[in-house]
Amino acid sequence: MGAAVGEGPPLSQSSPLVRIAIVRPLPGSAQRDLGTASALDRLGREARLEVLHDADSCCDLAAGEILDLVILEEGVGEGDAHRVLGALRGEGPPVIVVTTELDEELALDFFRRGAADCIAATRDYAEVLPVVALEQIRRWRAARERGDAERRIRWLEQLHEAIVNEIPAALVVLDGQGNMVTVNPEFSRTWGVSSDEVHGRPLEDVLPPDFLESEGVGEVLSRAAEGRSVAPRIARVIDGERGMRAFDVRAKRLGEGRILLVLSDLTEVELLAKQVADLQRYNENIIQNMNSALLVVDLEGRITYANPTAEQILDTVPGGLRGRPVWDWFPDVPREEVLISRTLEENTRFRGAETVISRPTGRIVPIGISCAPMSDRDGTRIGAVAIFQDLTEIKQLQRQVLQTEKMASIGQLAAGVAHEINNPMGFIHANLCQMSEYLEDLAKVWDKLEALRKAVQELHPPQLGEGGSALGAAPIVPEEIQRATGELDAAIERVEADFLLSDFGKAVRESLEGSERIRHIVQDLRAFSHQDTAELVESDLNQCLDSTANIVWTMMKHSVSLTKQYDELPPMYCFPMQLKQVFMNLIVNAYQAIEAREGGEGARGEIRLRTELRGDAVAILVTDNGTGIPPDALDRIFDPFFTTKEVGVGTGLGLSTSFNIVRRHGGTIRVESIEGQGTSFEVLLPLDALGPEAGTVR
Amino acid sequence: MSGSGSPPVLLLVDDETRILSALRRTLRREGYEILTAESVAEGLRILGSRKVDLVLTDQKMPGRSGLEFLAEVAVRHPDVARLLITGWPEEIPPDQIEFLGIRALIPKPWDDQQLKSALRENT
Repeated sequence: MGAAVGEGPPLSQSSPLVRIAIVRPLPGSAQRDLGTASALDRLGREARLEVLHDADSCCDLAAGEILDLVILEEGVGEGDAHRVLGALRGEGPPVIVVTTELDEELALDFFRRGAADCIAATRDYAEVLPVVALEQIRRWRAARERGDAERRIRWLEQLHEAIVNEIPAALVVLDGQGNMVTVNPEFSRTWGVSSDEVHGRPLEDVLPPDFLESEGVGEVLSRAAEGRSVAPRIARVIDGERGMRAFDVRAKRLGEGRILLVLSDLTEVELLAKQVADLQRYNENIIQNMNSALLVVDLEGRITYANPTAEQILDTVPGGLRGRPVWDWFPDVPREEVLISRTLEENTRFRGAETVISRPTGRIVPIGISCAPMSDRDGTRIGAVAIFQDLTEIKQLQRQVLQTEKMASIGQLAAGVAHEINNPMGFIHANLCQMSEYLEDLAKVWDKLEALRKAVQELHPPQLGEGGSALGAAPIVPEEIQRATGELDAAIERVEADFLLSDFGKAVRESLEGSERIRHIVQDLRAFSHQDTAELVESDLNQCLDSTANIVWTMMKHSVSLTKQYDELPPMYCFPMQLKQVFMNLIVNAYQAIEAREGGEGARGEIRLRTELRGDAVAILVTDNGTGIPPDALDRIFDPFFTTKEVGVGTGLGLSTSFNIVRRHGGTIRVESIEGQGTSFEVLLPLDALGPEAGTVR
Repeated sequence: MSGSGSPPVLLLVDDETRILSALRRTLRREGYEILTAESVAEGLRILGSRKVDLVLTDQKMPGRSGLEFLAEVAVRHPDVARLLITGWPEEIPPDQIEFLGIRALIPKPWDDQQLKSALRENT
């Protein structure tokens, strides 16, 4: 306030120094020296005299400086004298005209023109002048100070009016009874009341009662009424149209028990602050909940911000990333080749680049990453921001899509092959059966033939050759028959007929066994290419799994333990026989993986069966602690004819058939395996992929 | 089967002649008079020219299928017992088997005993 007032016009001109201008003719003119200056010497050192010789310099001096008195000697000439009087009349300092002689008429004229006094430079001039001069100065100064005070008041009034009218705060003055005395325009605008309506009315007429009684307003007013100082408070009021409004409330006791209440509207400010906070919350919400990981690193590669997804993918506790160098997750990559460091060092941006990170546990996770340099407001680089996604699932999906395509083409091929093989298999098998029967028949014939041969031999022993017998016994058998049996014996010996007969049967039996095996392959192929139309049945998967496990269990050595953990599952439409085939494959594989462990070392063999309800899908997990699957085989286990088992143990169609069956149920089958530790298969089946109408896929 | 009058007549229909001869071998001792046809048309011609007691037909053949053949037999020669042999028995809709009065559905490759008893039961 003081400064503002100080910038106004000078309010006090009181000064001990008295300044007097004497306007007199130039020395050497006709007029004698009246002794004015020497007469004024009596005023002492406090008086400063300016001697001038024309009206213009006098008027200039009076305009530029503060003069207390002008003494105008008659001899300067009528024109100059009149001009000085005219210029200083009214606002200017008093003018005393000094005439050479007493001339009443002349004096009267000067008075009319505004002279303060008119004296003659007579005998006692030197005594009279200082007295008259002092009296005029005293009167002039008194008048001038009165004028100053009035101007000051006018200035303060202007200032007051400007402040009260223009300040963006509602002002109201209350009397001792709490009635309104006056309000400013902002108050009228804010509370919808005209300034001429308020006088003498209580404040409750205008301000809502809950606002007036609120802690903010009530306390500020009561403390101000007691004359105590009070810190500004915030008070709120519900405005029907504009919602919640907030005010900064201050009050000050004025004289006569009056109180000035100041209400500054903070609604807009609060609204802006709220918008800023909302925006911040909004952004934070997105970042905290987005499915992508977000990392901010400083120029040294230390993590300064990480969202929960980043913590999850990088496998740390909440807040566990802050301050850690980002290189920790790329232990096998030279630092300069880590994408983020290329962004930091070379300003390179990346979009959707694929790389891998290593979790603290050693697990490798494929990620897709985008990196960009970060700058502050001045464009100074402060680090980099990276957004990345876990690609594990996508990679698995890609593999499954690839697998599905492969299956489709191989499935067609398999169906064709199975069909072509089936017919020749039919007659080979049937013929082999017949040959086996024929052989039995032939063997019976052969027995009779042998008997005949022996009978002939007895009649005609071989040692009784040509030349006859010494005993002279006549040969009973005719010579042709003897020759024929001889040839027969030789032929039997040559072809090893006994061996032929026994081995013929063996060859046929083995061929039959081979044809059985081919029949199984054809059946597997047929199942693989799903050339069957089993019926859709609403079934309980727990029961399917359990009954299958029980059948397989009877074939297993009981050194392997089987644990079951079934979630409660709703019934679902499926091809239960096919799913049982899948479960059978998985359980048998698990068992074989345990059996294949060298010398049964390590922990007791265990197969764990688990079912889980996951939203609108069912997960079936078969886990073993067997040999595990080598990483290079892991990608191929669902390929048809791929097998790691010994020849004859597996056809290589079990898992590919399972894959197809699961796919037909709209599901997925996944495997996780660590060599030497075990394998876990997960079959995920959506509950409503198949409808109740037989054979239809929704 | 044996004894009184002429033996029952069995007609085998398959486009694969080796299947026909294998079937013939299998059934040699079953006491049938066995006729063979390599197509549906030939089978129908035989049925039209002489008395037949049973037909055993393959399903997948070029031209008309075994089911089409049996449908025609059911209309024209309803007294002939009808049997179907196929490599893909699952593909035969059960309602068609019932509708066409098919007495037996024999999978291919066949089991000799199963085949023989299926035929005996329907002779």
